[in-house]
Amino acid sequence: MKIAVLQFPGTNCEFETLVAVKAVGMDGEIFRWNREAGELSSFDGFILPGGFSYQDRLRAGAIAAKEPVLAALKDEAGKGKPIIGICNGFQILVEAGLLPGRPEACAPDKSIDMALAQNVMVSKGKIVRRGYYCDWVHLRHEAPARRSSGSFAIERGALLKIPIAHGEGNLVTATPGLIKELNENDQVVFRYCDKNGRIIDEFPYNVNGSTESIAAICNEPGNVLGMMPHPERAFFAWQLPAFDPRKQRPDEPGPGRRVFESMKRYIEVRA
Amino acid sequence: MSQKINLRVWLKIPDAEAATVKNTLIRRLGYGSILADVKKERLFSFEVDGGDPLELAKSFAKELVNENKESHKVYVDALEYEEDYVPVKVALHIEDGEAISIRERLRRRLGFSNVVDVENATVWKLYFKTLRPEAQIAAREIAEKLLINPHKDSYEILSH
Repeated sequence: MKIAVLQFPGTNCEFETLVAVKAVGMDGEIFRWNREAGELSSFDGFILPGGFSYQDRLRAGAIAAKEPVLAALKDEAGKGKPIIGICNGFQILVEAGLLPGRPEACAPDKSIDMALAQNVMVSKGKIVRRGYYCDWVHLRHEAPARRSSGSFAIERGALLKIPIAHGEGNLVTATPGLIKELNENDQVVFRYCDKNGRIIDEFPYNVNGSTESIAAICNEPGNVLGMMPHPERAFFAWQLPAFDPRKQRPDEPGPGRRVFESMKRYIEVRA
Repeated sequence: MSQKINLRVWLKIPDAEAATVKNTLIRRLGYGSILADVKKERLFSFEVDGGDPLELAKSFAKELVNENKESHKVYVDALEYEEDYVPVKVALHIEDGEAISIRERLRRRLGFSNVVDVENATVWKLYFKTLRPEAQIAAREIAEKLLINPHKDSYEILSH
């Protein structure tokens, strides 16, 4: 079970993502963006880690989305292999048209289906903040178990505490009916919520102004998942913030571990 | 009567973002045969009600332009670009938090109560090897393929 962790110039979470991959018992390596793209087909799964590919020039993910490895990744997605995009990886998958991945939008001359726009934090109808933001957030798993590759082993309604760190995570779309379609197909995988799991569509609970507090979505078959929060930064309990009691039990798994365990389980079940 | 102040701002040091966009267009999207260069500017448009527009423009430039690395040019009720490139203006069509912040900063913190509105855009200057009608078509194509994400941005070719 071999996972490719893709590295673009400016990616900065590839090493801890690889640690997480190996810690759940998968094999993996860092795959540089300028390696022969065809070599991707020898891997069983892919992670596009967080960071700032190409320094977020133009728009986050826009430049990396034009790389040949993304074209090869589309072929791998078509084979049903799991692909998880975390933070900047999610932005790249959206810019490349892999998410939400409707076939109409995947053709090379067609436009994409959504954007992760600049954060705009709104509270009581007023913009209270904008731009880059990092914090620990709570996520509610919205899809049933086995719906997406990265939340395969997570039951519906489960709460995860995971950090976010981004400037462009505000999911917007001009495609009519797309959000409704995503909701109906259980393609909305995680939403931002408060610590009790209530969805409050306002800052500080909705941390970036995202439509309907959406934090993660998957494609229709469920193998491609994009999420703004960083599960690899909450993989071990000791990574949790100081005020979290779980931090004192360093041998325990952190909440983000479940995402990587899900990916492993997804590959095992598919095999 | 309200007046419109346009402030063009560009880097006088090398612009890495423009270089990356140029590279992507040439190396990844196949525009090498017709595209010669790409440069980038910012465009701030202020709608003001009263006051001497040139004096106001000077004050706005002082707040928004860093003279150590940037140059600027001011136009009142007009906007001009040079002839040797196709200027493509890209702006958010969703709420532009940065433009709102600039407006509020000028109005409330810096006391320019006559500022009615602020717009903020990027102008991509596309230098082509081909002549105008063909260049205009290619510029539209480039805008739609790379420069904008239609779910948040819109573009406009600023004609002369």
